Amino acid sequence: MQAIAESSKPKTQSTSPLLTFWRTFRRNPMALVGLTMLIIILLLAVFARQLAPYDVTSSANVSTADIYNPPGGAHLLGTDDAGKDVLSNFFFGARISLIVGFFAAFISVFIGGVIGIVAGFYGGRIENILMRFTDIMLVIPDLPLMVVIVALTKPSLINIIFVIGLLGWTTTARIVRSQTLAVKSRKFVLRARAIGAGNFHIILHHILPLVMPLLVVNAILVISLAILNESALSFIGLGDPTALSWGQMLNYAFGRGAMSAGAWWALVVPGLGIVWVVLALTLLGHGLEQVLNPRLEFHHLEPGRPVVQSEARQPVARAEDGRPILLEVQNLSVDYVTAGKPPARAVENVSFQLREGELMGLVGESGCGKTTLMLALLRLLPPAGQIVGGKVWFMGRDLTAMDETELQTVRWNGISIVFQGAMNAFNPVRTIGDQIFEAIQKHTPILPEDKIEDRVSELLELVGISAEHKAHFPHQYSGGMRQRAMIAMALACNPSVVIADEPTTALDVMIQAQILELLDSLRKKLGLSIIFVTHDLGVVAEMCDSVLVMYGGVTAEYASVDTIYNAPRHPYTQELLKAFPDLSKLDKRLASIPGYPPRLDQLPPGCRFAPRCPQALERCHTQPPALHRLEGTHVASCHLLDG
Amino acid sequence: MERRQYLLKKIGWSLFTILFVLVLNFFLFRILPGDPARAGVKDPRLKKEAIEAIQVRFGLDKPVVNCFESLNPVKLGSCTVNPLETQFFIYVGNLLRGELGISYHTNRPVAAILAERLWNTILLIGAGQILSIIVGVILGIFAAWKARTAIDYGALLTSLLAWSLPTFWLGIILLFWGSANGLPIGGKATPGSSTLPPVQQWTDIFQHMLLPTLTYTIVYMGEYTLIMRSSLLDVLAEDYILTAKAKGLSTFQILKDHALKNAMLPLVTVIAINLGFTVAGALQIEAVFSWPGLGGAIYESVVRRDYPVLQGAFLLIAVAVILANLIADLTYSYLDPRVQSE
Repeated sequence: MQAIAESSKPKTQSTSPLLTFWRTFRRNPMALVGLTMLIIILLLAVFARQLAPYDVTSSANVSTADIYNPPGGAHLLGTDDAGKDVLSNFFFGARISLIVGFFAAFISVFIGGVIGIVAGFYGGRIENILMRFTDIMLVIPDLPLMVVIVALTKPSLINIIFVIGLLGWTTTARIVRSQTLAVKSRKFVLRARAIGAGNFHIILHHILPLVMPLLVVNAILVISLAILNESALSFIGLGDPTALSWGQMLNYAFGRGAMSAGAWWALVVPGLGIVWVVLALTLLGHGLEQVLNPRLEFHHLEPGRPVVQSEARQPVARAEDGRPILLEVQNLSVDYVTAGKPPARAVENVSFQLREGELMGLVGESGCGKTTLMLALLRLLPPAGQIVGGKVWFMGRDLTAMDETELQTVRWNGISIVFQGAMNAFNPVRTIGDQIFEAIQKHTPILPEDKIEDRVSELLELVGISAEHKAHFPHQYSGGMRQRAMIAMALACNPSVVIADEPTTALDVMIQAQILELLDSLRKKLGLSIIFVTHDLGVVAEMCDSVLVMYGGVTAEYASVDTIYNAPRHPYTQELLKAFPDLSKLDKRLASIPGYPPRLDQLPPGCRFAPRCPQALERCHTQPPALHRLEGTHVASCHLLDG
Repeated sequence: MERRQYLLKKIGWSLFTILFVLVLNFFLFRILPGDPARAGVKDPRLKKEAIEAIQVRFGLDKPVVNCFESLNPVKLGSCTVNPLETQFFIYVGNLLRGELGISYHTNRPVAAILAERLWNTILLIGAGQILSIIVGVILGIFAAWKARTAIDYGALLTSLLAWSLPTFWLGIILLFWGSANGLPIGGKATPGSSTLPPVQQWTDIFQHMLLPTLTYTIVYMGEYTLIMRSSLLDVLAEDYILTAKAKGLSTFQILKDHALKNAMLPLVTVIAINLGFTVAGALQIEAVFSWPGLGGAIYESVVRRDYPVLQGAFLLIAVAVILANLIADLTYSYLDPRVQSE
């Protein structure tokens, strides 16, 4: 008994894709409302005969006195131009409208699906011809063409279904084609091809299941369009005179004096039916799309979460060596807050000081909270991010207490950022020069425009880009040039601090070296303070004054560069150092650290590095280590230092 | 150089599409059984002379195209009809001379009827498009900017509802409401108003336009709102918006200088693709409000079985939509610097 119970257990736990789908679907109010509305109208249509108070299929017992009787009494929704009960007509009309909608959409989706899959799968000339044909059909206005064809043939239900169906496939074909293109180069499709599966087999078993979700969403849209088109055709007088659809009801009412008779019920009721079905389908389709392609959760203009103010400690004005301190971060903590989940601590209790002219390396693997920390400094966190403790002092001012307008004067003017990658950091539809110009104009509006132009040229020359390129767009620059231009833009307002957030990732090694040299020479020339964010300790070795190593959102170790390289105390720093080549010890093997940094929502209870730490003790897994202050400014958080 | 090639390619395809529509339009009216000119000559009650007279009048005595009737491999070799004397080439030749045939109903040249009506449709669609784009774009901007707030959900539901309204039905409802409130019930002008001074004439036309334009605006603003909203949401999540924010720009500056142009780009394409649907809307609106435009011409010609007008109106509408698409394509290439280098 027990064995059976146990063996059946994993089965219930494994989630089928349909079940997962249903769970997300259930939480989407739009899709749920749409589905409910659709089911209601489907039931009305199916049980029309049982629900309708009158048999509208026969014209017995109808007299002229019954024409356009107002709602109430024997006829809940009044009577129409033929003296028939509007409510009963409404139920039977639902049948016709839905039948036309579903069958026509079925034809459209079938044709569009076949054309899209064939074009996407086979490519080449077949694709070219099919898609050109689709483009042509897409441009030709469909309702007028339907009108022409139905007018020239018999306006029977079958004809209408086919005409709407045969002309409504273009959007389906386009969507299916691009989805097919996207999935056909996936690994398992290529594998199926490699083991000799036939084209038909691949399409049926590998492509179609992946195209299906999109096809369903599109089909829902096509059904609603077909219903709208049918009603329009009927209204124009091209409906099947023997099939009283909602559109046909409206045609009769409008054409036979409902307006002058003031019989609003004959005009309102069938129209509401169309609106009901189309709205149901629209809500369902829209909701399904949200379920299948969840959008990015936020955008950059949403209001951020308020800073949780904490006790302020006065900032230190000068470091021990007498140099002024520009930026002091005190015990900064940042949470990511998502509805329905406990907040995830992305940065915890991080402190550092940046002196004038200092270059600090901020090192750690991806996902260790480096970028979050840097964005928090300028209060540029995404809306889910919240500073929940600590202070950021910049030249004696508390950035965590400033309002948005004050912050705007500090951003770029006091502290600027060189974003990583730089491809999308520039607006693609504005020239590079224009975007640098904008920054200068924002912060020194009194400067005349020609002076700003000169400054833009000067800045570009400074980073080794000829001034004539300022009229070019970002896509006309190479990756390295864009990164240089980004640096030029970061320097535009003579900031005291520049944050370089992984400025060399995604660039090739030669360009990386050039960018690094450029940053270092600019620092010396302009007296900048730089925070250099990187996951590569080697990059910062020769340039930095100090290094802050982060792991899982906390400070692993913070010390001068000499200490970090020669006497690291935290095992993570030690492992990172082993992972980069030391040219003086050529016989040494490079080591990588197995595993990945912890996910923010699954932080281990003890030291965050413990699961990957080669020297972990028992308490490391249960108890977070304290931040130990060692000699001078050297700090590290590790149980090995507990003494 | 690249730009010129792009232009030539687009223009070439538009011409090809127009040719396709031309051929389609010709053959639809030759193959499908409805046209009374051809259906009529099969009536056994007609005398031989009458049949011949009808055939000559409508050019039915000529072959449709070269050897179209004898798609028979044996006969093809001896097929000696002068291609210029086939119905198709006569049709094309007439088109080139601007002749679209004679209306069955009014006996006037179709081209003259449609020429008057084209401007009325352009007036209606123009006013409706401008208004619906303005309303849709503004609503979309607010919805995206205030994402996931009551404003956003309100705008989203409003646009989905607007999208779901059958155009002609909304027209009927507005007409019902408007006629009860003293607005004109249809047409473009009050009969006899042409004798009035110009200002009053224009006021009269404006009053007649009010409800059709309102119908148009409500039906199409929903879609523009949805597109603007989703396009702006995409743009606002882009890295360059974060850059703009880091540069110290205000929310207004970011929206104006960095988000709107980028977000409007997809809208240009959608407006173009929408023109086909737009015409469908105009057709229904003109039918409801008896607006003397091309859509109204299609509606009336269907009711009166006036096929030359139907054929001409369809051709004119299709060509207009194709040309509008071409213009949108060219505008897009001008607005988005990335297109030229592709």
